[in-house]
Amino acid sequence: MAEPRVRFEDLAVGQEIPSLARVVSREDVKAYADASGDQNPLHQNDDFARAVGFPGIIAHGMFSMGHLATCLTGWLGEPGPLRRLRAQFRSPVFMGDTIVAGGRIRSLDPEARSAILEVWVSVERDGRTEFPIRKSEAEVRFTTGA
Amino acid sequence: MPLNLALEGKVYPEVAFTVDPGRAAAFAAVVEERSDVVPPTFPTAAEFLLFPQIVGDPELGMDFTRVVHAEQEYEWRRALVPGETVSARSRLAQIREKAGNGFLTIETQLLGADGEVAVVARASMIERGEGG
Repeated sequence: MAEPRVRFEDLAVGQEIPSLARVVSREDVKAYADASGDQNPLHQNDDFARAVGFPGIIAHGMFSMGHLATCLTGWLGEPGPLRRLRAQFRSPVFMGDTIVAGGRIRSLDPEARSAILEVWVSVERDGRTEFPIRKSEAEVRFTTGA
Repeated sequence: MPLNLALEGKVYPEVAFTVDPGRAAAFAAVVEERSDVVPPTFPTAAEFLLFPQIVGDPELGMDFTRVVHAEQEYEWRRALVPGETVSARSRLAQIREKAGNGFLTIETQLLGADGEVAVVARASMIERGEGG
């Protein structure tokens, strides 16, 4: 088993975790629909997506949240310390977009050995930064001696 | 048709959800998670097993064509184990109406065979008003 990469003692308020980028493809979104069971046509049918005002299909909000969770578990080295994650979906992700997950430590609780992070997923589009996930929060907690 | 606010607190019949190892691995591959763990957001598959009975609940009067997923939260008490079967139980935790839009939060608990809660999921949806 992999050793935990992060110890509570290493954390500081304001510290950013390593960001994680990926490109979102149509094949990824189809694979996500099949694995999650969310078969909403908004994520598979361009005509349907256009009819509701998008230029084409968009990725599931939960696809970006899954990527955000992978960013957090990659930083932690394992999913165990991740106790809570809340994501607010605020902007669409289009096919070909590069989504970047990141986070920053907002507060530490030495007694509980826990940290609250502000977390996000961003996209650079037409020279602007959009946030498919913003104003969101993660809680991580480390067991004693871990 | 607006959401039926009187339905706040309604509990739906629980559904058995098996953490299918192949499906969890496919999910891990698509979110680029390590292949030896169940991805933290995999419980979404259990939520989508339950959503049809809520969306299709004639008492609630939800129009899914006008619904957007606004927010999602997970609380993990323990990791899910590949192959285990959990009981998934949903309730309408909150229903509100504001400026012609409906706001609905569905809370889903995944309980292990020991009856203890493993994961709590909260999905918040907005149903845009007819004029929107």
